[in-house]
Amino acid sequence: MGPVPLRSALRAGVVGGAILTYLSLVGLIERFADLNLVGEQVTLGRLFLVLPPFAVGYAVVRPRIVAGERRLASPRAGALAGALSGAVTMVVFDAVIALAEWVDVGRIRQVFVTATPGVIEFVTFERGLATGLGILIGLGLVSGAIGGLARTANRAVAAALSVGAVTVIVMGLLQRIVLIALVQLGIESDFLYSPITRSLTWGGSAGLFVLAGGANVLWHRSGPETRERFRGAMAEKSAARTGILLVVLALLVILPLLVGSVISQVLGSVMIFVLLGLGLNIVVGYAGLLDLGYVAFFAFGAYMTALLTGATLNTTTGSAAPAFSVDLNFYIAIWVVVLLAAGMGLLIGAPVLRLRGDYLAIVTLGLGEIVRVLAESRWLQPVVGGPQGMRGVTDAEIAGYSFRNPPQHFYYLALAFVLLALFVSWRLSASRVGRAWNAMREDEQVADAMGVSTTKYKLLAFAMGGAVGSLGGALFAVQIGSLTPASFQILVSITALAVVILGGLGSLPGVVAGALVLIGLPGLLREFEEFRLLIYGAALVAIMVLRPQGLLPNVRRMRELHDEEEAQDEWVKRFADEGAAVAAVPGNPPGVEYGDPK
Amino acid sequence: MSVDGLHLLELRNVAKHFGGLYALSGLDMHVDRGEIVSVIGPNGAGKSTMFNVVTGLYGPDDGDVLFDGQRIVGFAPNQITKMGIARTFQTVHLFPNMTVLENAMVGQHSRSRSGVVGAILRPPGTRREEERIRQRAKEALEFFGSRLAGYRQDQPANALSYANRRRLEMARAIATEPTLIMLDEPTAGMNPTETLELRDHIVRMRDQLGFTVLVIEHDMRVVKGVSDRVIALDYGRKIAEGTYDEVANNPQVVEAYLGTKAAG
Repeated sequence: MGPVPLRSALRAGVVGGAILTYLSLVGLIERFADLNLVGEQVTLGRLFLVLPPFAVGYAVVRPRIVAGERRLASPRAGALAGALSGAVTMVVFDAVIALAEWVDVGRIRQVFVTATPGVIEFVTFERGLATGLGILIGLGLVSGAIGGLARTANRAVAAALSVGAVTVIVMGLLQRIVLIALVQLGIESDFLYSPITRSLTWGGSAGLFVLAGGANVLWHRSGPETRERFRGAMAEKSAARTGILLVVLALLVILPLLVGSVISQVLGSVMIFVLLGLGLNIVVGYAGLLDLGYVAFFAFGAYMTALLTGATLNTTTGSAAPAFSVDLNFYIAIWVVVLLAAGMGLLIGAPVLRLRGDYLAIVTLGLGEIVRVLAESRWLQPVVGGPQGMRGVTDAEIAGYSFRNPPQHFYYLALAFVLLALFVSWRLSASRVGRAWNAMREDEQVADAMGVSTTKYKLLAFAMGGAVGSLGGALFAVQIGSLTPASFQILVSITALAVVILGGLGSLPGVVAGALVLIGLPGLLREFEEFRLLIYGAALVAIMVLRPQGLLPNVRRMRELHDEEEAQDEWVKRFADEGAAVAAVPGNPPGVEYGDPK
Repeated sequence: MSVDGLHLLELRNVAKHFGGLYALSGLDMHVDRGEIVSVIGPNGAGKSTMFNVVTGLYGPDDGDVLFDGQRIVGFAPNQITKMGIARTFQTVHLFPNMTVLENAMVGQHSRSRSGVVGAILRPPGTRREEERIRQRAKEALEFFGSRLAGYRQDQPANALSYANRRRLEMARAIATEPTLIMLDEPTAGMNPTETLELRDHIVRMRDQLGFTVLVIEHDMRVVKGVSDRVIALDYGRKIAEGTYDEVANNPQVVEAYLGTKAAG
C-alpha cells in the first residue's frame, strides 16, 4: 500500500477532536466519570474519552475504490494511519483543554452549564495538566491504532475481538439488570460483578471476553450452513418453526419473573412504543404516507379508554365526573376505542388524501398538535379535564387481578396487545391489501392505473394505523392510571417514527428492535435519561449513513437479493448442461439450441 | 364495425391542452372489438396524451370518451382498469422493489375483492382467492415463455433487464384481464430480435388472449406486421387512417414525418 494518507488522517483527527470537545462540553464524559464498567479503572466516562480516537482511526482507513476494486490498507498502514489520526484527535482536544484552562473554564459556563473545572480534572486523570495531556495523547495513539487495525486486520480475528469487547462493555453497562436476573435465579454473582467497585471484576470480564469471542469464532466456522438451515426452517411451515416460536413465546412469558419489577416497567413502556411503531409502520412503512402527527391516535386511544371506563377529571379541589362518561369493562371498551380510532383515522385521512410527501407530513404534524391543544383546551375541559387531565383510569383487572401493579402484570397485558398487533400487521402485509399498499407506496399513479383505488387504500391505511396506535394509547392509560396533555407532545410522534425508521421501514422485527433500542436502553440505563434526545439524533444520523435500510430490514427482500445470485448460477448451470447434452447428440451442431428457448 | 354497431372504444372530438399548448384538439377515433390498431405520429403528436385521457390520468378539456358504449370521462384510473382497459407506459413504470410475481399479482387487484378482515382472519374463501390471484399472475407471466419464468419471478422487478421490464409491464397489464390493452411504444429500446419476438406477442394477445389491442409504435416493421388499421396523429389531430399501406403513402403523413419538401 501507499504511504499513510496524511491529509485525511489530519482531517479525521480534527473532526475527532471536535467531537470529543463537544462530548465534554455537554457533560456526557464527566457525567459517567464514576460509572465503573470493569474494576475501578475502566469507567464509561473514560470509554467515551477513547471512543472518538478509535472511531476516527477506524473511519480513516475505510476501503478505497480504485478502478472498481475495493482496496484496503495493510494492517501496518492501517494501524499507522489510525494512530496518527487518534493522536491528532487528542492534540486538538489537548489544545482545547489548555485553552479552557488558560481562559478559566468557569467563564464558558454561561453557555455550557456542564463545563466545570471537574471536567478538566477528569479528562487529565487528576494528575495535573502536563501529565494528563500527555496521557491523553498516548491513549489517542493507542486507541486510534486499534481503530485502524479493527478494519484492516484479519476479519475473523477483528470480529471475534470486537464481539468480545462489546460483550464486556454491554455486560458492564447492564450490570444492575443482570444482577437482578442472577439473584432471581439464585446464581452466585460475585465471580462476575464486584459489589465493592459495583462493576465487572477483571476475571469476570476476561471470562466474558473469551466466551463471546470464542462463540463468534465457532459461529463463523459453522455459521453459513447453520444460518441457512435456520432460515430454511423458518421459511417453511415446519415443526422447527413452530418449536422456535413456542420457545420464544415461553421466554417472553417467563421474562418478567426473571427480571423484576423495574425492568418489567421498562419493557411495558417498550411495548407501548412497539404498538405505536406497528401502527405507524402500517401508515408509513406499508402505505408510504409520512404521518408526523401520529400522537393524535395515541392521545385518542388513551383519553377514549379513560372516558369509556369511568375515569374522573382532576380539579383543584379533587375530582369531578366528566360531562360524558361511560363505565364499561376495559375489555369491552377497548374494542369500542379501536373502532372509534379507525373512524378517526378516516377523519384525519380524508382531508389529506390529495397531499403527498412533505405536504402530507406538514399537515399531519399540524393535526397531531391540534389533538393535544384540544385536550388542553377550556372548551373540552368538562370532558377531558384540560391541563389537569384525568385520573382513575381502570387498571383492567380481571377478577381482582390488577394489570397495573405490579409492572409484571402490566407486562402481560401489553404482551397480549403486542402479539395481537404483530399478528394483524403480519397478516396484512402478506395479503391483497398489503400488496395494494406496497404498490401505492412504490408508485401511486401506476398503482391507480393498475386498479388500486388509492383513495380507498390511503383511508384504509390511516384507519388501520389509527386502530393499532390507539391500542398503544389505551395501554398507556392503563399503565399510568392518569392522563395529562403533557404526555402527548409532538415528541411522541417523532419517537414513534424514529422507532420505525431505526428498525427498518416495513419490517415487523425492526419495529421491535427499534423500540428496544430507543425506549428500552434509555429506560434501563437511567443515567442516559438526560441525553436521550442527543442519542436519538446521533442514532438516526448514524443509521441513515451506515445502514439506511434499518437495523432489521424486511427479511424477505434481503433474502431475495441474496438468493437471486445462487438461483441464477443454478439456472445458468442447468442450461449449460442441457446445452452440452444437446450438443453431444450426433446430428445436432453444437449451440443450435442456445437461441431463444421460447 | 362490431356486431352490435358499437365501437369498443370511441373518442369524440377530444381536446386536451396544457396551458396554451394543444396536445389534442378535436380528436375523433375509434377501436373495434378484436382489432389491432396502431397509432403513429411524430414526437409530440399527442399519442401518449390520448392514452392518458382514455385511461383517466388526464381529464379531457372537451369531447367524450366512450368505452363499450359507456361514457368514461371523469372516472378514476382504477375504475377504468376495472371496466377492462389495461395499459403500459412509455417509460417503464414498475413497482421496482416488489418481486416480479408480486408486480403481476397487483394486476389482479381489480379482479379480486378480499379486504382487511379477510386478510387478518384468512378464511378459506380468501385463501382460494389468493391462490387464484397467484395462478392468474403466473399465467400472465408465462405469456412471455421462459423470459419471466422460474427464479426470476421471485426477484425484485428492478433486477430485470430492460427488455424484461417491458415484458413485465405488459404481463402486469395482461393480469388485469382487460378487454382492451393499450401498449405505449412496447418495442422502444429493444434490439431487433426482441422487437420481432414482441411483434408475435402483440398478435398473440389478440389471437390467444382475445384482447383488443391499441398500440403506439414507432417501429414501422412492427406497425406493418401487426396492424389491422393504422391511425396517424399530428398536432393532436388525426391526419390519416386506414391500412398500413394507405397511411404510409399518405402525403400528409409523409410530410409530418419528413417535412414539406419530401412530400412534394
